[in-house]
Amino acid sequence: MRRVLSVILAATLAIGALSGCGKQSEEMEENGTVTITIWHDKEDAVAEVLQTKLETLEPEIHVVLEKKSDLTESLKMVGNDPKAAPDMYLFAHDKIGVYAEMEILSPITDIISEQELEQYVESTVEAATYKDTVYQLPIYYETLLFMYNRLYMSDEEVPKTTEELYAYMQENTNGGHYGFVEQHSTPYYAAGWINGFEGSILSADGTAGLDKPETIAALEYHKKFVELMPGETEYATVNTLFKEKMAHSTIAGPWLIPTVRESGIDVGIAAMPVIDETGIPISPYMGVQGVHVLKNAAENKHEAVEKVLRLLMEPDIGLELAQASGCAPANKACYEMDEVLSDEVVMAMKETAEYAVPMPNVPEMDVMWTVAGNLLTDINMSDKDVTLSAQEAQQEAEKLIESMR
Amino acid sequence: MKKGKNTLFAYAWSAPSLFLILMIVIFPILYTAYISMTNMNVYHWNNYEFIGLENYKDALLVLDNGFITALFFTVLWTIVNMVLQVAIAFLLATLLNIRKLKLRNVYKTLLIFPWAMPGYVSILLWKTGMFNSQFGLLNQWLQKVGFEPVRWLNSNGMAFICCTVVNLWLALPFMITIIDGALQSIDKSYYESAMLDGATWLERTRYITLPMIKPIIAPSVIITTFTTFKQFDIIYLLTQQVGAKTGAEIHTILTYAYEKAFITNNYGYSSAVSIIIFIMLIVFSSVSNAEPKKRGNN
Repeated sequence: MRRVLSVILAATLAIGALSGCGKQSEEMEENGTVTITIWHDKEDAVAEVLQTKLETLEPEIHVVLEKKSDLTESLKMVGNDPKAAPDMYLFAHDKIGVYAEMEILSPITDIISEQELEQYVESTVEAATYKDTVYQLPIYYETLLFMYNRLYMSDEEVPKTTEELYAYMQENTNGGHYGFVEQHSTPYYAAGWINGFEGSILSADGTAGLDKPETIAALEYHKKFVELMPGETEYATVNTLFKEKMAHSTIAGPWLIPTVRESGIDVGIAAMPVIDETGIPISPYMGVQGVHVLKNAAENKHEAVEKVLRLLMEPDIGLELAQASGCAPANKACYEMDEVLSDEVVMAMKETAEYAVPMPNVPEMDVMWTVAGNLLTDINMSDKDVTLSAQEAQQEAEKLIESMR
Repeated sequence: MKKGKNTLFAYAWSAPSLFLILMIVIFPILYTAYISMTNMNVYHWNNYEFIGLENYKDALLVLDNGFITALFFTVLWTIVNMVLQVAIAFLLATLLNIRKLKLRNVYKTLLIFPWAMPGYVSILLWKTGMFNSQFGLLNQWLQKVGFEPVRWLNSNGMAFICCTVVNLWLALPFMITIIDGALQSIDKSYYESAMLDGATWLERTRYITLPMIKPIIAPSVIITTFTTFKQFDIIYLLTQQVGAKTGAEIHTILTYAYEKAFITNNYGYSSAVSIIIFIMLIVFSSVSNAEPKKRGNN
């Protein structure tokens, strides 16, 4: 009896171990229904709007929106495996270069013609283009915004320039209160200051720009603002300070607005202050959120994929997303709708997008987040020499970029 | 003949487990070694080629001054943490074994609690709940008694202490459980005899407790030493997470390798760095295992 039990247990173990190696169940296509899986990492409000819209394709096409917390790494692992990879994914444009080089993405123009893409805001299509090929169908875009708490800062007091902002910070930073806070040592946030000086973290062709004189000037200028901000620079601390009414103003993403409003804050949104030294506003990165199609799906489920994309191209999705989550639609037609035109957040993003810089989408950006983050930490938190640190960081970036090849 | 048959049966029964070990442990190592000799990276994802030891040549460049500093830090980190871990766990386990101790099971449950929480959650809770300079409990206490808030994770020394505290919080439950079990396995008659002979607590600990628990806790200490040596989560999440760096520049060999290789998306190169670290761990393991054997032979 014991021997029989051992055999059963051993067999179960072996089968369990090997079950992952075999083929997964075939794509469900019962009654002619094609299943399309879309990975995303978006907030529930966005996913709900998309899910409701995509359900209109039933029963011909069944779309599964699957939230993946580690979407980018998972795609690297399974992007080539049609059994494990999704058919499409919804994500920001900045990873396009990586996946295009890995040859897992299908050009969106294989499904939607270039002429049809003219209905989108030019900068969103530009952001979705890698090596002259468009790999993403833009849905909405986001930029950082200047936000302020009307309890402390009236609309008239909103600083128009960075020097006005500095004066406000000097006057109001005391007793645990801050005139202005931001994630000062995070590249995504500091990029606005660097771009405003016409410096760069990484150029569109993948060249690091950390030791450019303009970048160094930006870092030196930015530092005096950092001295009036809290030491901690991460998302939770900065946003909590604003939500808890301990910070009068901040630069943050539109995703913060719903929670801030829930906290009972009368939040105002204004244009980015103009940097006195250059006459250019703080110019944050712009991220374009859109749908990407994996090669396998484009080849094997072309018709279903096209139907999904065409549905997502309808302007009313842009409107619904704007209303649900303050997303700025990528489709130009949305900006003719009264509901969009009267949305303070969306229109502020549209204005900021005029001078915002699309995040580089080349693979080299992967190493720059870390190197630029270290540089900002050295300068802002460890008080190291700006020029020397920038030169060292540039060398490090060049070495790492070289290691990528 | 019967012995040979038995051996064959033993291998046959162990085969599924051995196969599992082969698939889960050996295969990934061999595959990593294979990848380390290719140019697999984001630009050669499907069309990668065998390039021999080229990646190892580049990987050895990672072993610069920064790597040596990280290695020194890793050794220091391992020694400090292991000494504290074993000493504190022994002390607490001894206290748990005091005769007629009331609510023993309650204490045990409380002490095991950190183990029940996912490490990632615990680390981030410590970071924001305790060490945060704006909202952390430590600074709130300091401010209550009139001191200025401290940036706990900003300097190397302070960050090292904070990381050690969190590591102890996470690792102590395991060590306490092991030592507690070992203490309970000692026959009480040894202590009774020693007490009749007038032995003090220190003498009983030195001549009875320690020699008797040593062989039982040794494997756990060795396993924990390795876990501590290749620590990544605590140091990275507390001080180096992208977007939440604190200013401290403390690196274990793994966090250092991560910043110098793994972010490049060059899997050949990263695998070569991993294999070098793997070889270092094997050497470390051989050295630490050789010593007790030698003593055992003597």
